Formats: sequence, structure tokens, C-alpha cells
Amino acid sequence: MIEAVERLVKLLESENVEWEVFYQFGRSGSFRIERETLERSQRKFYSGIGLRVGLKGRLGFSYITGLHPSEEELKKLVERAVKLAKISEVPFRGFPASGRVNRVRGIYDRTIDEIPFEEAHRLALEYAELMQEKKGEETLSGSLSLAVGTSGVVNSNGIELEERSTYMGVSAYAVISEPPGTGSYRQSFTSLQPVEELERAVEKAVDEARLSARAKKLESYSGELVLEPNALASLIEVFLSNLYGDEVYHGRSRFSKPGDEIGSFTLVDDSTLPALPGSYSFDGEGVPGQRTVLVGDGIVRNFLLDHTYASFLGMESTGNALRTFRSVPYIGTSNLILEPGDESLEDYEGVIVRKVFGEHTANPVSGDFSLTVELGYVIENGELKPFKDNMLVGNVFELLRTLKPGRKVERISSFVSPRGLVEGRLV
Amino acid sequence: MEWLIKKAEELARKHGLDYYEIRLVKVTSRRLVMSNGQLRELSSNSELGIGARAFNGTWGFSSANDRERFEKAIETAMKIAKLSRGDAKIYLGEPVRDKVELKVKKPFTEIDIEEKLSLVKEIDGLLRGEKIVSRSVNYGDSIVETFYFNSLGSEIRTVVPRIRLGFSVTARENGEMQDFWKSFGGTLGWELIEGINLDHWTAHVKEKALELLRASSPPSGEMDVIADPELTGVFIHEALGHAVEADSVKNGDSILAGRLGERIAVEGLNVVDDPTLPGKFGSYPYDDEGIKAKRVEIIKDGVLVSYLNDRETAEYFGLEPNGHARAESYSHQPLVRMGNTYVEPGDWSFEEILEEVKNGLYMLGDKGGEVDTANGTFTFGAKLGYIVENGEIKEPVRDVALSGKILDVLKNIRAIGNDTRVEFPGYCGKGQWVPVDDGGPHILTRALVGGLR
Repeated sequence: MIEAVERLVKLLESENVEWEVFYQFGRSGSFRIERETLERSQRKFYSGIGLRVGLKGRLGFSYITGLHPSEEELKKLVERAVKLAKISEVPFRGFPASGRVNRVRGIYDRTIDEIPFEEAHRLALEYAELMQEKKGEETLSGSLSLAVGTSGVVNSNGIELEERSTYMGVSAYAVISEPPGTGSYRQSFTSLQPVEELERAVEKAVDEARLSARAKKLESYSGELVLEPNALASLIEVFLSNLYGDEVYHGRSRFSKPGDEIGSFTLVDDSTLPALPGSYSFDGEGVPGQRTVLVGDGIVRNFLLDHTYASFLGMESTGNALRTFRSVPYIGTSNLILEPGDESLEDYEGVIVRKVFGEHTANPVSGDFSLTVELGYVIENGELKPFKDNMLVGNVFELLRTLKPGRKVERISSFVSPRGLVEGRLV
Repeated sequence: MEWLIKKAEELARKHGLDYYEIRLVKVTSRRLVMSNGQLRELSSNSELGIGARAFNGTWGFSSANDRERFEKAIETAMKIAKLSRGDAKIYLGEPVRDKVELKVKKPFTEIDIEEKLSLVKEIDGLLRGEKIVSRSVNYGDSIVETFYFNSLGSEIRTVVPRIRLGFSVTARENGEMQDFWKSFGGTLGWELIEGINLDHWTAHVKEKALELLRASSPPSGEMDVIADPELTGVFIHEALGHAVEADSVKNGDSILAGRLGERIAVEGLNVVDDPTLPGKFGSYPYDDEGIKAKRVEIIKDGVLVSYLNDRETAEYFGLEPNGHARAESYSHQPLVRMGNTYVEPGDWSFEEILEEVKNGLYMLGDKGGEVDTANGTFTFGAKLGYIVENGEIKEPVRDVALSGKILDVLKNIRAIGNDTRVEFPGYCGKGQWVPVDDGGPHILTRALVGGLR
């Protein structure tokens, strides 16, 4: 526990309240490459302490930035949170009690933590040079970021946890101006990656831009089609808000309790997978991370829950309370896994949709969506014809009912999924 | 502050840097969220942070929120700039010394948190109703005090208050569920809240959610679409605004690159971005590079006349700087962004526009949008719509997004209404979130409708 938190805990122990302290500190270095040139480099530092106080069934929250508060500032923080608990009317359902936390492997890489900024900067320059080498008629841009962060939770129920994790993010973007075409690639890791990962990013973006520049709008189509993991991620995002515990509790979900049948796939949230960017040993309230089957063989099995909404719904927290020191916990996903199925879709011939956009315009409660196709292609007799600018339209509940996952999975940051065969419609 | 200015000068001399700029930002904010009568959040916080940038042909940036690191952040930005060295140039200009506070009639800081809580409760009560299964009310206000200084000797102090209120309902019947919502916001005080007819707007939100329950999905395909002022706002923001952000243009990421002076839209179309409009949600007096905010004509009578720019892109394109560099917070670097974007009024009445449409849709409300500026394709969502047949508004339709090609739809505009409104606050994402406003009159164009029929 850091010194400022120790002092804060001492102050809180003399108050007649329940309390929870969440703290964070860390730094990041990130680099932005534009037109194959390193244009913007930055190094950020952040730190802060968030305090929740429970008093007579009500909750107060406040935070301070920095880790070097004076005694006066700490006293004021406690006073503010207590005052808010008195007037707030936010229901307080207790804080979690300490449970067994198994440490997730592979989420901290000392080389990222200790890399000198100059070396990270050199890596970014190398990335820019790679783009210059691989550039054809495309304009290339991208980003590279490295970060290390520590977060900790301490509460009046005996929880005292701290965890450090590291992150590396890579993105590449390729644009062809005439005829217009774009390609992009994005991936994240918990450990420092060799330069081959940067090469892969550029190559994928370039390949996609070339396809995109050749793409024309397709005639309207209705029937069987394959969604690549990227497009599936967009549709699952539309569906997913129905599985958030707060949405369920407040009547904004299609589901009110587990048990409904929605197809035949399996969707899992799992924060315990080694070396994935969404992994953690404990969540923002100190609840151990876990594997949660959200949809199992097509049946809704569980919701994404924090301590509060689990309590409202008479369920157990699934360890999905995410937060920063500036916020009270909110429900979110860790790593989301669409389990592979039996379909062999790697050599699929027919209509394949790679990427769509506009998912925030969809309606998660009715399930209706109309998304713009950024890139798709038709394979006929081994020949590939790219298309774009159509809209993929439908209802997400109906579409997922037809979903048959393929065998081979791909990872896009914290989303792991195979391709999926669905009944769909393009206009 | 004086010691920080001196320190920055010293460090710049030590590292041999010509240009740097520093933002010291204090944010004080309050937020109340209520769902179904239950308070979910009530918070009141303030924080102080620093964002420092130094230029050496490329930018070096550093930020911190622990006071003990402020000086280090300045030095880190300078060290990074020194390490980087590029060949870009920036507009420098004359130093500016100014102090601006966006004035409000009734400061929300003088309103007790208890009164804000009772407002939220009152609205929650008004949203109750038959078939309404979920209600949500969201209130927030903030004061952002910025002290900006740079190596030219600029010293600018600004105070920007912002207030917003939003509420939504979910209606349910026979297993069907639909949402409707309304947002208000501005660089205003409590007078914004007092000016809202809560009875009217809460009833409106409920009525529209119920109407959506009875609505069917629209047909699909390319068709005539009348956009209401709110939808025109998101349409012009997505279909044009992002593509004229000069950083996209410079980076080869915009279909509008190289088209200044070219007719890209129908005659009679005038589009403006104006952060100086009083009281609007996307208004600000100076941008985050210390350049005074300016009204910018983007399209004049169908011709593309300007890009939105920052210090770097103004120099790059040889344009007059127009103050459109905005950062989400002290820990973000400014990017070229919109403020309040709108279509100026034309001379069509709504009735005349309606009569133009034989078979089409009348779409209302903003559900957000997204654009691929390099491909020139964009999507935007409407809250609800109606079928239009032979100039008459028929049955309601629901859940629809529309899509189009930037260069086609701007030329396909057939009518521009005379009823411009700019009062649709929101947040725009481009890696960072900034408050914006947009709007326009009713317009008639063609777009691809993604209906389920």
C-alpha cells in the first residue's frame, strides 16, 4: 500500500463509516506516425485516489488527483465523501469481503515497465521506417503505445490488493486516394513485442487498403453469409448491453433473468486468461476475476455484474466492476470470448463481411441495426471480389439465432472469436 | 503561476527550444444520475492538471496531475521534442494576453446540490407513465478554468462553464422495447434549466417512445430523405465536418484533399462552424493552442472555401489560423475539431419541402454517426421517422441508420429549409471526446436507408 493510502486509511478508521479506497498510478509513452513520419510523441503520468464511503445505507464518492496529498487534503477528501453519503440517496449495498484471489499470469512485463523513453522512441522511429519501406501508393500512418499502471483496492472489510500490469498497443492505417481505399489494423498486448508485430500491422493495413480500393457496392443480397471476427465484434457489441446487470435491473434489457434461449453459440467473459489485455486478478472492488459463461450453448446463463447490481438482482458479482480513480465502479467486460464451433469457414465461398461501422446508431433494446459495410468480399470459384458501402441490416437477436461459429479463432485485443456463419441481408 | 512561466523559460533555454505551450487546467464538476427513481451517482469533484507541449519540427507532449510532477512534465515535453526533431512548421503569430470568462445569467455554482437533486427527482417523476419500464435522468455541470501560456509570451486565462441535462425512457409492450431521449446543454448557467418546459419535453419523450413501439422498420434502398434540423446537424457534422478537419486533409485521410475552391455541393448550400456563438454547447473563446476561436465559412454557395485548422495545418496549407485545435483535457494533445457546425437557412418552407417528396422518408433526431473520411462514406442514425407519400406524412418508422457518399449527398441536396436551429448538444469522438453543437434547417437529399423491409 502506498504511503498516502496508509494515511487515508488511518483517518477512515477513526470515522464510524464503511469505506473503500481505490488508487491508481502509472505512465504511458505513445507515438503517432503520420505520412510515415513520427509526428507526435508523448509521455503521460497519472495518479489519483478514489474514496467510497457507506453510511446508513447510502453511498458517497469523491476523489483527489496525485499521490502526495497533504493531511489537510486527505481530511477534506474524507469530509466530502461523508457529506455526500449523508445527502446522496445513492443506495449502499456494502463492500465485498475479501476472497481468494489467484494471480493472473503474464499481465506484467518488466521490459515495458523499465524501457527507457529513448528506446521506446527508437522503436517508434523504426516503425515509421518500416512504413517508408513498405509503402506503395498508400499513405501510411499508425501509432505505438507502451504503458504501465498499478491499481489497488483497500476496504473496511479487509480487502487489501494491488496489481501492476503493462500494455502495448499497435495500430496501422493505410489510405489509397484514387480510387479511395482504406485499411486498418489494431492489436494490443501485455508484453513487449518484436518488430515482426509491427510489420504484420503494416502489411495487414496495406492489404486491406488495396482490397478496399478495388471494392464496389454489391447488389442487394439476402441469405447465408460469413462475418469475420471484426464484424462479429460490432454485432456482439449491439447485443451485449442486454447482458449488463445494471441494464437488466433497470428494465433496459431484453432479459430479466438467466434462462432465455437465443441461439446455439457460447459467449464467455474471462478476466483470468494469461497475457490478455483485458485480464486482471481482481476487479475495481477487489472481487476476484473469474470466467463467466454469459451465453452457454445458446442459453443466457449469467449477466455481467458488479457487487451492487449483483446484490440488487440477488446474484453474485462476476468481478466485472471496472473503474478509474475518478469514477465509481461501472460494469464492463474483461476479455470476451466467442467459443469456436464446428463449421469450417476458412475456405468458405460466398459473401464475407470483414468490417462494419456505425454500431452506436443501432438500437440494443429492439435489436434492430443498419450498419455500413466498410469492407467485404465475395469468393466465387476461388476468385475474390471486394465490396463496400452497402449496409448490413437486420435484428441482432434474429441474426444471433442463426449464428454458427467457425473453428479457428482470431484475437482482436480483448475479443477472441472465430468467423461466424449467419443469415443476413445487405442492401 | 509566475514560477511556472519562469521555469518553462529556463528549461526551454537549457534545451534550446524555440516554441512551447503549457495549459494549466482546473476542472470543477458535478454529476447526478438517476435511474427509475434510484440515484446512481452524485459527485462533486475538482482537479488540477498540466499539459505541456514543445515543438522541434515535431511535437513532444507530457501531462501530469500530481503537483509534484508539474515541472517534470514541462521538462519531459521539452526533452521529447529535442529527441524527436522533424521538419514540420507551425504558425506562430503575435503573443496574446487576454482574460475571458463566458458570462452566464445565473451561475450553477450558486445552486445547491440539493436543488439539483430535486430537479432530477422532479424529472424522474414526470417521466413515469403507462408502458414506461425504465427512466433515466442525467445532469452535469462543469467549470473549466484554463491558464495558457507559450514561449511567444501569450498568457490567456479562460473560464468556460458548461451545463447539460438529458433524460430518456424505455417503453415496452408485447415484448417490443423502444427508447427515446432528449438532451439540453450549453455554455450557460442555471437559466438553461429554468428555460426548459419540463412538462412538455417529458411528455414528448414518452409519447415518442410509445409511438416507436407502434412503428415498423422502414423500407431499404436509396431514397429521398427529409432530415429535421437535429438530423441535419449530425448529417453535416459527419458528411462534411470531419472531412474538412485539416489534419485529416494533411494526412491524406480526406476525400476533400485538394478541393479548396471547388464546387462540392449544390448551389445555395452554406455551412459554417462557429465556436463564438453565445451559449452553445460547442462554444469556446480560445482554442487549446491559444488561438482565438473564429467563425469559419466551410462551404459558401456550394463551394468548399476553408478547412478547420490548428497551428500546424494553418502553416502547412498557408491558411489563416482559425482556432479549431481542441483537447479533451489537460492530458490530451489538441487535435483539429469542430465547435458548433451548422447549415445556414435556405428559402424553402417545410411544407414546400414535404410537397417535393413523392416516395421517401421524413427522419428526425440524432442518434450519432460515423464517417470514413478517406473512403468518403458516412453513416448517421435517426431517432424516428415517417413514411412520406405524395407530400403527406404517413406511418412512423423506427431504428434506422442512413448511409451515403460525401461527394454524392452534398450534391443531391434538393431543398434547404428556412428554419435553421442550432441547439443539439453532444460529444464528438476522434480518439478524444469534446463537446459540440450542431444543427441546420430541414433539408431534402438522397441517402441509402438501411431498413429491414
